[in-house]
Amino acid sequence: MVARRYVDVFEAYDRFVEGVKMSESDWDYHVIPGNAAMMKERYDINFGSDIIPDDPDLADRLFLAGVDMLLTTGIYNTDLGRAMMIDEDEIYEGIKMAPKKLTLGHGKDKCKCKARRGNSTRKPVIQGGPTGAPVSEDVFTAMIESYAQEPMVDTIVSGVLNTVNGHPATTNSPWEIKATMAEIRLVREATTMAGRPGMGI
Amino acid sequence: MKIDMSGLNMIAGWHASGDIIMMEQMPIFGGYIGGVEETAICDVATMIASFAIFNSDIHLDGPIHIRWGTTTTREPLQIAAHAAVALDLNTDLLLANQYYTLAGPCTEMCLLETAAQAITDTASGRELLSGSAAAKGVSQDRTTGMEARIMGEAASATCGMSIPEVNEILDKLISRYESKFIDAPIGKRFQDCYDVDDVTPSDEYLQVYDDALNVLSDCGLGF
Repeated sequence: MVARRYVDVFEAYDRFVEGVKMSESDWDYHVIPGNAAMMKERYDINFGSDIIPDDPDLADRLFLAGVDMLLTTGIYNTDLGRAMMIDEDEIYEGIKMAPKKLTLGHGKDKCKCKARRGNSTRKPVIQGGPTGAPVSEDVFTAMIESYAQEPMVDTIVSGVLNTVNGHPATTNSPWEIKATMAEIRLVREATTMAGRPGMGI
Repeated sequence: MKIDMSGLNMIAGWHASGDIIMMEQMPIFGGYIGGVEETAICDVATMIASFAIFNSDIHLDGPIHIRWGTTTTREPLQIAAHAAVALDLNTDLLLANQYYTLAGPCTEMCLLETAAQAITDTASGRELLSGSAAAKGVSQDRTTGMEARIMGEAASATCGMSIPEVNEILDKLISRYESKFIDAPIGKRFQDCYDVDDVTPSDEYLQVYDDALNVLSDCGLGF
């Protein structure tokens, strides 16, 4: 059936609330491995030894297996203990709704992230940074600047401040919020010090 | 293929505010999902879900090895590449991948691991490379800009190459570091391989970088 509209996060919540109840261990140890094995067999997915596939038919079958996996299995909400479902038309509406290009950053430092096709001659966007690794407060700005000053780097991904004002940035505490806000300020400071204040962060 | 209420609520805030949303998920190879094929099937399903259910604008992948905690071993690279090519051939979705190497900064192994993944991600059509969390991203201060430099240089050198040619390079390159996993060097902290005041890499790190470029050239990557 044709989709009424694309699914968004609010609709997803409603579907979770009404979804099938099951334990997380059932999901992890039965539903996911069982359905994944079924899709592997149904779509005859075998990789062989190549890292990158050079067989478009295999890639198409893997795409269909992924769509089928999502249709058959849905997504599980660990707090509600329920799984939501989505139908095929909604999946394709959602794919159509997704952007095909983004602008990251602003001014002369912005970069465009556009869909590439295969191994295009156009370089992918390089997002440099510690990628969530822990970083000491005293070297945080300099470390981020070491990425921002690299000509190959287009945007920044932050690290995690270990402390803020000397306090551990404990998860689920006010210090975590303060540390997160400090990270944003310090990353912007670092890109400015590198002469690229408009970089996407 | 799971989410919690915190994730859902954060997405709701960003979506309602019109922010660009990058949704992250890291499928684990070697866990309950199964082998490389089953993990890739779940990876494709979850990537699609991030756009079709959770309003993501760009997806950040990161297939990871359960034993080594890295994205640069042979199996995670194969999963990431197959999943990316499957989506690249059938959609225009924006796909990114993140980097967790076993070795740390100022080591040749760290740079070769980073380059191998950059080559893989670029040739499999990904739009954004995000990294790198050297030393598995768990050792304090063990990440630097030099790892991002090699990520960019390797990606740039790979653009436009044929897939069989890239696979041949990858096979040689991964063989150079995969035997060293058991005693991978943790490397140096940022403050031990950079001049922190001047934000410049040490002579030692520049030499290590040059050596890594030579290895990549030996494997067939032209700079």
